Amino acid sequence: MTTTSKNIIVTLSFFVLITGFMFANIITPHKVLSFKERRRLASPPVFSIEQLLNGQVFVDYEQYLLDQFVLRDKFRGVKALASLYLFGQKDYNGLYVVGDGIYKMEYPLKEKSVLNAAVKFNDLYDTYLQDMNVHYAVIPDKNYFAAAPKGYLTIDYEDMIDILNWNVKHMSYIDLFPLLSIDDYYRTDIHWSQDRIVHVAKELSAHMGANYEHVDLRYEKQELYPFYGTFHGQSALPLAPDTIVYLTNEIINNAIVYDYEKNTYGKVYNVDKFCGTDAYDIFLSGAKPLLTITNPDCKGGSELILFRDSFGSSLAPLLLQYYTTITLVDLRYISSKTLSDYIDFTPDQDVLFLYSTLVINNSWMLK
Amino acid sequence: MLFSSVSFLYSFLPAVLLLYFALPSGQKNLVLFLASLLFYFYGEPVYCILLIGSILSGYLHGLWIGKAMGSQYARLPLVSSIVVVLGLLFFFKYINFFIANFNYFAPSEATLLRIILPLGISFYSFQILSYTIDVYRGKTRIQRNFLAFATYVSMFPQLIAGPIVRYKTVEKELSCRTHSFANLAWGINRFIAGLSKKILLANTLGQFGELLSKTDPQTVLSLWLIAFAFMMQIYFDFSGYSDMAIGLGRIFGFHFPENFNYPYISRSITEFWQRWHISLGTWFRDYLYIPLGGNRVPSLTWGRNIIIVWLLVGFWHGAEWNFIIWGLIFAALLIAEKQFIRNLLGKVPSVLAHLYVLLVVLLSFVFFNADGISQSIENIRGMFGFLSVPLTSAGVKYYFKSYAFILIIAAIGATPLPAAVAAKVKEHATGKKIINIFEPAAHVILLVLVTGYLIDGSFNPFLYFRF
Repeated sequence: MTTTSKNIIVTLSFFVLITGFMFANIITPHKVLSFKERRRLASPPVFSIEQLLNGQVFVDYEQYLLDQFVLRDKFRGVKALASLYLFGQKDYNGLYVVGDGIYKMEYPLKEKSVLNAAVKFNDLYDTYLQDMNVHYAVIPDKNYFAAAPKGYLTIDYEDMIDILNWNVKHMSYIDLFPLLSIDDYYRTDIHWSQDRIVHVAKELSAHMGANYEHVDLRYEKQELYPFYGTFHGQSALPLAPDTIVYLTNEIINNAIVYDYEKNTYGKVYNVDKFCGTDAYDIFLSGAKPLLTITNPDCKGGSELILFRDSFGSSLAPLLLQYYTTITLVDLRYISSKTLSDYIDFTPDQDVLFLYSTLVINNSWMLK
Repeated sequence: MLFSSVSFLYSFLPAVLLLYFALPSGQKNLVLFLASLLFYFYGEPVYCILLIGSILSGYLHGLWIGKAMGSQYARLPLVSSIVVVLGLLFFFKYINFFIANFNYFAPSEATLLRIILPLGISFYSFQILSYTIDVYRGKTRIQRNFLAFATYVSMFPQLIAGPIVRYKTVEKELSCRTHSFANLAWGINRFIAGLSKKILLANTLGQFGELLSKTDPQTVLSLWLIAFAFMMQIYFDFSGYSDMAIGLGRIFGFHFPENFNYPYISRSITEFWQRWHISLGTWFRDYLYIPLGGNRVPSLTWGRNIIIVWLLVGFWHGAEWNFIIWGLIFAALLIAEKQFIRNLLGKVPSVLAHLYVLLVVLLSFVFFNADGISQSIENIRGMFGFLSVPLTSAGVKYYFKSYAFILIIAAIGATPLPAAVAAKVKEHATGKKIINIFEPAAHVILLVLVTGYLIDGSFNPFLYFRF
């Protein structure tokens, strides 16, 4: 190729690329939501003289263009691949790949946050739970299994549990760490897979002294595919999706879920949510401040108050075998000061604090 | 508006290029001027008036200087021009610095003014001054065409962060310039190279420095790495911007001066400043240092001149004491080099001279990067083990490993090695053919890569915008 030809090709390819994308951005209709990023995308800027003169209209336009850029997800994938495989960075915005799974680093251990969680548990005990059968358990996040062996930064899990054990009073600790392995979690998501935690539910209920009479642990597996987990969207990497497995039986199918916030009744699984922004929301319809699941088939059983995060959504249905009602409290969305307005705390109830290490390490979100 | 933004790359630039090349020669300056005003308005809507006022002032002062030439009041319009330009610069950039220091030393409680630094004021003010001073000195002709003058001052490729283009450099091209595929391809090549330097290297190095800054506790190694990362970041950030400006200028038919020439391969600080921000260094040389007497004066007067010039170079970068100290450090080193160690630097092994420059520049940028003098001193104490901080930590080691390849690319990219290899390959006919095939493909790949980084990245303004 001659230099003249090269100059023409360089010029034309540059002009075609920048003008091509300009026109493509103009003619492509804008989107409201990004399912991969699980967020609302910026809409066209609102024009006014005031917004123009203070520059806000240009700030909004910049964000709009970034959000609505054609092939946005593909371009994000290009960056992720370049960061990890071209420039050799070990992680991409804190996300890293081990085998066919994707992980998000959690580092460092925030001792003050762990202590804050312990104080929170103790406060709740002192306010509502005195003389009740109270337990707490911590769910290791995926990093516990993958980070250290592969040289990624990770929190000191032993330290975390030690701080909790030293500071949490009047509750017994149930150790879940030995019960779990990396295979129990989704490859592209933060959460555990329900079909892999039946034994965890059994262990928890055993520790809490639940009634085992008439307990039937048979389930039918239901599958939903493809499930693109949180990390899949965040990373924009071309990874194979997961399959969501959820377990059903007569008890779960007959259970009734009451949502205090919306004052509505529903089912344990809301399969319609599979097509929403977060497919994991099929479990108890996603994040909810306060729910009660009633098991009409369990007569005379005890009650459970479960203080939980999103991991609890897929675990709670598996505890239904042992309890007449399970009340799920998510302190990320409801203040602990208002609980007595909704819940009658009685000495015969079991209480379980079940939180992942991610929440314990960022416990300021607990209200 | 930022060159490294999707709005510039995929809205502003293609629209301006289409319009610019669609219209006849006589209309091209108008397109450039209006596009430049829009470019500035996008970032600083209100200060657009200040830009237009400054242009008008420079234009009228040029005419006035021409009219007063030869009369007994010939200096008056020049002084007026300098007072207006520096007065505006003083008010918008430095007034709060003086009020704050007055409050501290007096002491008093004078209220600070609510002023935001207008984008690019340090750059376009110096361009206007170069014009009026050169007209007064008879080194350039008066521009009577307002549109041509306004296009010169406001031209968006160099408006906000240089290089400081003197009027006489582009005087002829303002009225008559040629456009060719050779110029376009050269300009595109330079623009994409600069864009890649900014997005792929400078921003990533900035991210590395930020991650290290957040690691707790700080360690000796993290402080050294932060300093090194910033030294590299500021080079790729600013030289990348200059490359984009020079490239865009060439696309529109202008030949802007070079602003960087591999400063980190210098063997002395004197050489470093001949290679770093060349357009600023030569501006101060020609419009301040030489009028003060330059080096053709007694040693003491020369030392005074150096101190004045470098104090102002530091102050030009920012209205903070750490910038003044940064400038004075270089003044002291330049004096020391000329008076005491120039011969020594010539005799020591080359590697030691390079290490001396790199160490001095790295430490000087600690002052440049810090929020105030006390933090700079604290950081330097930590780097040399005078603070009770650990040598390293798991976090620092991890990020060092994670960014090692980028650091290596940056270190090599700051030398002439890649350009020398390309030139060597081009010497052979086959090599030239390979490069001719590789170059367009490389442009497309880099543009796609950069777009990916832009779309996924957060807001990363150029470091030199704050000056």
